[in-house]
Amino acid sequence: MLAASATTLPLLLALDACVGPDPLSGPPPLSRDVRVLFAAIAAEGNLVHAYKRTLAAYSTLAPALTPLLAEHEAHLAQLRARVAEPPGGSPAVTASLASPGGSGGSGGSGAAGRAIPAIPGTRAAAVALLRDAEQAASAAQLRRLATVSGPLAQLFASIAASETTHVTVLDDRRLA
Amino acid sequence: MRPAVGPASAGRAPVAALQAALAAEHAAIYGYGVAGAQLTAAARAAALRDWTLHQNARDTLTAMIASLGATPVAASAAYELPFAVHDARSARALAADMEDGVTRAYLALVALPDTSLRTFGALAMQPPAERAAYWRGTTTAFPGFPRGAFAHE
Repeated sequence: MLAASATTLPLLLALDACVGPDPLSGPPPLSRDVRVLFAAIAAEGNLVHAYKRTLAAYSTLAPALTPLLAEHEAHLAQLRARVAEPPGGSPAVTASLASPGGSGGSGGSGAAGRAIPAIPGTRAAAVALLRDAEQAASAAQLRRLATVSGPLAQLFASIAASETTHVTVLDDRRLA
Repeated sequence: MRPAVGPASAGRAPVAALQAALAAEHAAIYGYGVAGAQLTAAARAAALRDWTLHQNARDTLTAMIASLGATPVAASAAYELPFAVHDARSARALAADMEDGVTRAYLALVALPDTSLRTFGALAMQPPAERAAYWRGTTTAFPGFPRGAFAHE
């Protein structure tokens, strides 16, 4: 048995300070970046879903909407690349798509958890709905900036700028 | 769109990032002068509008840098163009390229810990990102980042 002495006592104290994960305490809490990422993934996933539904209803919009959808899919891929999602997708996405009107999501997504509106009955209204969704998504990205790391803030800011350019595209009256 | 900058924003990194953004604005102001000469009437009017917006942004940055006690970087007498500009097509490409440069410079501000500068950078990069899309005729997924910066792009 190791007896405590002047030389071994610091070692024992150091070992005592090494507290490993407690298997009975459940998963460790998510970092702020990860919680905000889940919310961003949920919001981006909802935008991708909205574009696909609109394209399914109004195929003549494909030339204008397909490039924008591709960019949202690139956003989603980049966001997902920064976090290991649990099987079945992020909790926020699952909650928002399965429970329209619920309060899923965290980190101030603004979009996750909202009810998924029906596809409007006219092409112009469908474009307007996407435009509003882009504008809301861009604003939500900006609200995420303050609390995340610098590189993640840059990704959110870039996606917000991309979504702003989409608003301009969707403002084109020729789409109506 | 100008945040109050004070002691919390003091330091080399914020000033350096603001100076880089100002340098990008100077370059864009020069570049629109070159591009405008090659553009036809409607496009020239758009270039004039954008040139004015860059002058406004330049003045905003100049005031912000001065308020931090630094001397704002001056414009160069001339700038090396990234490619020859000899017709309307290359003029539009130059405009898009300059807007990309300005967007990139503002994105650098977003990496700073100061939240007011982050927000300023994020908002300030949106107009040049939109103008780049206008001149290029297409949008991009990640404005401010180099093309191909992400594997999924």
